[in-house]
Amino acid sequence: MDYSFDFQSVSFGPLWDGLIVTLQLTIAANLIGIVLGFPLALLIMSRFAPARLPAMLFVEFFRCTPAIVQIVWFFYCVPMLFNVFLGSMTMGILALGLNLMAFNAEAYRAAIQAVPREQLDAGIALGLNPVQRTLYIVLPTAVRASIPVLLTNGIGIFQQSALVAIVAVQDLMYQAKSLATETYRPIETFTIVALIYFAVSFPVSQIVGYLERRRQLMMS
Amino acid sequence: MTMSFSAPLVKIQSLHKSYGPHIQVLKGLDIEMKPGERVVVIGPSGGGKSTLLRVMMGLEKIDSGAISFGGKPYISSEGADRKTVIDTEVRRSIGMVFQHYTLFPHLSVIQNLILAPCKVRGEAKASATKRAQALLERFGLGAKAGAYPAQLSGGQKQRVAIARALMLDPKLMLFDEVTSALDPELVAEVEQVILQLAAQDMPMMIVTHDMWFAKNIASRVIFCAGGVVAEEGPPEQVLGSPKEERTREFIDRVFHIRH
Repeated sequence: MDYSFDFQSVSFGPLWDGLIVTLQLTIAANLIGIVLGFPLALLIMSRFAPARLPAMLFVEFFRCTPAIVQIVWFFYCVPMLFNVFLGSMTMGILALGLNLMAFNAEAYRAAIQAVPREQLDAGIALGLNPVQRTLYIVLPTAVRASIPVLLTNGIGIFQQSALVAIVAVQDLMYQAKSLATETYRPIETFTIVALIYFAVSFPVSQIVGYLERRRQLMMS
Repeated sequence: MTMSFSAPLVKIQSLHKSYGPHIQVLKGLDIEMKPGERVVVIGPSGGGKSTLLRVMMGLEKIDSGAISFGGKPYISSEGADRKTVIDTEVRRSIGMVFQHYTLFPHLSVIQNLILAPCKVRGEAKASATKRAQALLERFGLGAKAGAYPAQLSGGQKQRVAIARALMLDPKLMLFDEVTSALDPELVAEVEQVILQLAAQDMPMMIVTHDMWFAKNIASRVIFCAGGVVAEEGPPEQVLGSPKEERTREFIDRVFHIRH
């Protein structure tokens, strides 16, 4: 291969700006997903059908359609249907946040259902009412148990956030595309970008592995 | 309300309970328990022993029947749809310890003890902590106050579970096979704690397979089989020379040899 690599012509300034935007998207989407995913999980498990069915529909919509379709739909259909457009960054955060909320709700649901029945019996025997049992027994146990999945989903959103570049959010991917076009150096640019995504994701996946091992030890 | 001395502490009348349409677990159970009594319930698996305690704690719905505590009815089935009605105020006088998994794993020992007093009774944290520490000292667990359940042995966990139930000053304790999941060498330390409570006249109902323990702690033994009380009486009679054939068979099997 006689391609000569030229990493010099790839300037880091725009990539750095893009990474900041990507991290902002990731953090904001994770806040939505982590906080609102829990009440959504409670709704999915509700015995009250008018609460459960819309919640399930919401979750299945996000689980059963490609993220890129959701993002495009959000950017083009939501403004037309509801006559609102909140700026591309906000729309990006909402699209990614709601997607993550659906996946996190499933993680919470699994963790809530894994809380041993005996723990709840003990709560009843101690006189805790249903709200207290949820707050002091189910929530802390389930949140702890779901942390590895929440982190995995969260870092997944960090990577998925690259999709918002197609709707003009100036994230890392967007900056990379512009840079590649300007410099005619797509290989170098995307190699660097891949390394940046890896450098952020890899430590998180290591932390997930560590937490899972520790949890297994705690449970044994 | 005044209560004469011999009035029953617990009165269970014609208790029926089934799981689904085909599995009838309790078929008209009648039990009276006097204040200060320590009733040990024995019997074959599936005979309804644990279900009885769970119903008394309000953890299971009933089909029909009623239970009263201290003269107050607190569990009954009412209306055309036989809804189980539980008086939670009365139920608060009853404490229960289970077979396993009952300490909250995310809370330290002391936090496990003070959770209900603080949240249910609104007790100040400082006073609950003080009482909890004293109780742990009494059970030989003073040094474990800050430990988490995962760091305790099975026997220690059960002793903490007993202390946790006692924090609410129960007037009756239910023990549901609390030593069944323990390694043999850990059984004694838990039974010691229960014997200690017995020495202080704590009324209790105990489901156990440990006949030695039953003999030592019971003021009355109930043999529960087929969802009814098949035989009852003082421990030396029911365990020593049972009248009923199936009680005898059961005791033979559990003891291997007749005592």
